[in-house]
This record gives sequence, C-alpha cells and structure tokens, in this order.
Amino acid sequence: MTETAVAEETAAPVAGGPRRFGTAWLAIAVAVGLLLGFAAGLLAPSLRTPGDTSPEAGFARDMSLHHAQAVEMAMVAYQKGTDQRTRNIAYDIVMAQQNQIGTMQRWLEEWRLSPTGSQPRMAWMKGGEALVQDGLMPGMATPEEITALHQATGQNVDKMFITLMIKHHLGGIHMAEGVLAETNRPEVVRLAQAMKNNQQNEIDALRQVEATLTV
Amino acid sequence: MSISTPQGGGNRRSPSAVSTGSPAKKAAAGGKPGTKSAGTKATGAKPGAAKTATSGKGGGPRRPIAPVKVGQGRNWGPIALFVAVGVVAALIIGYGAYYVYKGSESWEDRAAGINGLINYRETRPDLMKGGQHQQGTIKYEMSPPAVGPHNPTWQRCLGNVYNAPIASEHAVHSLEHGAVWVTYRPDLPADQVEKLAAKVRGNDFMLMSPYEGLDKPISLQAWGYQLKVDNANDGRIDEFIKALRQNASAEPGVACSTGDYVTATGTTPRDMSQSQPGTGG
Repeated sequence: MTETAVAEETAAPVAGGPRRFGTAWLAIAVAVGLLLGFAAGLLAPSLRTPGDTSPEAGFARDMSLHHAQAVEMAMVAYQKGTDQRTRNIAYDIVMAQQNQIGTMQRWLEEWRLSPTGSQPRMAWMKGGEALVQDGLMPGMATPEEITALHQATGQNVDKMFITLMIKHHLGGIHMAEGVLAETNRPEVVRLAQAMKNNQQNEIDALRQVEATLTV
Repeated sequence: MSISTPQGGGNRRSPSAVSTGSPAKKAAAGGKPGTKSAGTKATGAKPGAAKTATSGKGGGPRRPIAPVKVGQGRNWGPIALFVAVGVVAALIIGYGAYYVYKGSESWEDRAAGINGLINYRETRPDLMKGGQHQQGTIKYEMSPPAVGPHNPTWQRCLGNVYNAPIASEHAVHSLEHGAVWVTYRPDLPADQVEKLAAKVRGNDFMLMSPYEGLDKPISLQAWGYQLKVDNANDGRIDEFIKALRQNASAEPGVACSTGDYVTATGTTPRDMSQSQPGTGG
C-alpha cells in the first residue's frame, strides 16, 4: 500500500494539487480557528472562576456553615453573658462572621455556583473528610453543647462560650489554612488570611478573659 | 503537511481501493450463497476479502489504473482527515458551549427543569411578597404550605430533624429565610426517613419533620415551590435542594439558627401576643 502511495505521490502534479487544497484548507483552518477562538472566549470566564468542586467553592460553603454556628453561639453570649469583655468579643464575632458569610455567599453567586455543593463536607481540603466527626467540621460544637449553652445562666454562659468558641476558632483557623494552601484567588486569600489572623487574636483575647473569670 | 499527507493519504485512500474491489467481493460472495447455506456464507466471503487484500497488495503491477485514482485519492484523504479534525473540534466547541450554557443557567431555570415541580410563584404571585406575620393558627390552601403568611417566630432550620410534627406557621417562616422543609408521611419506612434525614442533619437552611395527612409519602417545600415524590431515592430531591436551598429565600442573608426561633415540636404555633421568654438566641 505504501508503494502505491509513493507511486501516486510522485505521479501527481506537485504544483497544481496541493496549492488548490492549500487555499481551501487555509480557509477552513481559519474558520475553525475563529470558531475555536470564539468558543475559548465563551469558556474563558468559567475557566477563570472556581468550579463546583473547587477548594474555593467548598471553603465558601463549609465556612458559611461553620460561621453560622459561631454567630449563634456568640449571639447567646452577647445576650446572656455576664462579663462585659466576653460580650464585646461576642459582638465582634457576630458582626464579622455574619458579614463574612454574606461575602462568601456572594462569591458563589459570582462564580455561578449553588450554595449547595454536591460533595461531602470538607472534601475540598486535603485530608479534610477525615476531620469530620459525627458530621461536624473541625472545632464545631455538638447539638448538645449548643443546647447546653442556650440553657446556661450566669457566668456559666461566659465560661461555656469561651471554651466552645476557642475550640471553634481553632477549627476555623485550620480550615482557613486549608484553603490558603490550595488557592491563589485574591479575594479568597485575603478573606482566609483575615479570618486566620482575627480568629487567632480573638482566641488570645478569650484566653485572657478566661484566666480572670472566677469559679 | 507535506510529511503527513502521504501517510494520511495513503491510509485514507486504501478504503477507496477496497471499495473499487468490493463489487468483485460482492460478486464473489453473492455468487456462492445462492447455492449454499447461511453458515457457509461467512466462509465463502473470506476468500473474497482475501482476494481484495491480495489485489491491494498487488497494486504495484497494475500501475495503469493508478493514475486515474490519483486525483480522487488526493482529494478524499486530506478531506476525510480534516473533516475528522473538524468534527472533533465541533464536539469540543459544542461541549464547551453546552457546559457554559448549563453553568450559566439560573437557579430558577434549573428548578423549572425539575419534573413535577409546583411553582406557586407563577400561580399565586400574591402570596410571594413575604413578611406577612400573623399570630395564631393560619389556614393554608396547600398541604403542606409552601408560601404565605406565617408566625413571627421561625422554626430553627440549621439541619434540624424533628421527629414529631411541627407548626406550619413556624416552618413557613423558615422557608421565607431560604430553608428547604422536608416533610414525610408518618408511615414512611424508617430507612427512607433516615435517608432523608441524612440530607438534612447538620446542614444550614434545612429542616425536616413528619406531616400528618400528606397526600404523597414525601413533600419538599421551599418558599413558593413544592415537590411531591413517592420515594426517598428519587433523584429530584437532591435537584430540588441544590436549586432552591437558600436561593429561593425571600429574605436573603437572614439566618436559620440565630435569633428568636423555636425548636419545639407540636402543631400549635407560639403566640407572641403576650411576652414570653424566648430561646435567648
């Protein structure tokens, strides 16, 4: 078969044939190239934003849930706490974290993603799924602990809140570090870094208050 | 191109060489089956195929015919190649465009694609406004209610799985916040109840409770939307949640778990016309 191919190749008029094809194929190649360019233009925005299973989207969804619990606990401490320093920290936590939930939900809207993911909790983070215990992400309080905090009175509110909140923040910092290791999107880096710093500062402040609370 | 063309041309041209030989094959194969059974038809065809193969190999000596085929071979080889490339490119473009289209589909459109979805936003736009707080028992025109006036207090909806019926007046308020309320007929098998609970437990903007007198085993509610299904394995359940959870909210940004909510079961709504101690949340 190669024999005949070579034979035909030599037999063909080298000048006429290929040049005619050259023009036709050039036109088609240009058309295909334009189409591909157009498609690339269409695709580019969705390729530039995080996808449904990306670490950024997973972080935004899971951290929103994580924050929601912090807001609930801090609101209880703000309302029922007896120590003014605790109440001030709790107030800051409510304001900051509810705002951050809004920011993260807005990311998902901008990335055209649903607030509801299709992957298990923490799957976006390396080794993240192993950190989930009884469906709870790192540092989260159990439903029983939340109920107990709601039912607590007096200085028990402050104490219980401080204990739960330090644990909660440590888990939150771990998650923020998890996404920082995976992303270079400026808005995610900026917020995750801020969470890490602020929550560490709040842990320090809560520990200072804790040390002064009497039995 | 000058390097690839002889190869591609040579390979692509071979079918045309076979096709010119195929009438002979057909004739050879067609001649024999007339006299023999179907079983021998296959064996009868083999010599024919072998014949074309040998005639292809022996194409060298039959050079007089070759120049006639030269033009056709030159034409179809690269054309087939480029058509193949073009088809692949078109598939890539098509897939990409479809992906972009699907990705940019709004949650409303995704919801509208759910088979059997009841859309009260279209049928009862008057109920959509939200914020209509009302004390006491409220008579709803749908069961379970999916939109309408509701109690000023909402049912806690951060993944709460209630194992007894709750007051619709509270649950509808949760829907307004963006929650999906999963309800099931009390006779739903326990394994299916657990399957539903696994979708709800611990997830924000989700709550679940049994509902007496449900006309289907399972009913899902979001603000202005409803879907009734027979089985917890129905794939539309996840579609409903993914499309509508939080998205269907009439009060975006309002929480499920912070504020003066109720966690009590029982179908009598809390009456706040007298001051009562709240949850402290």
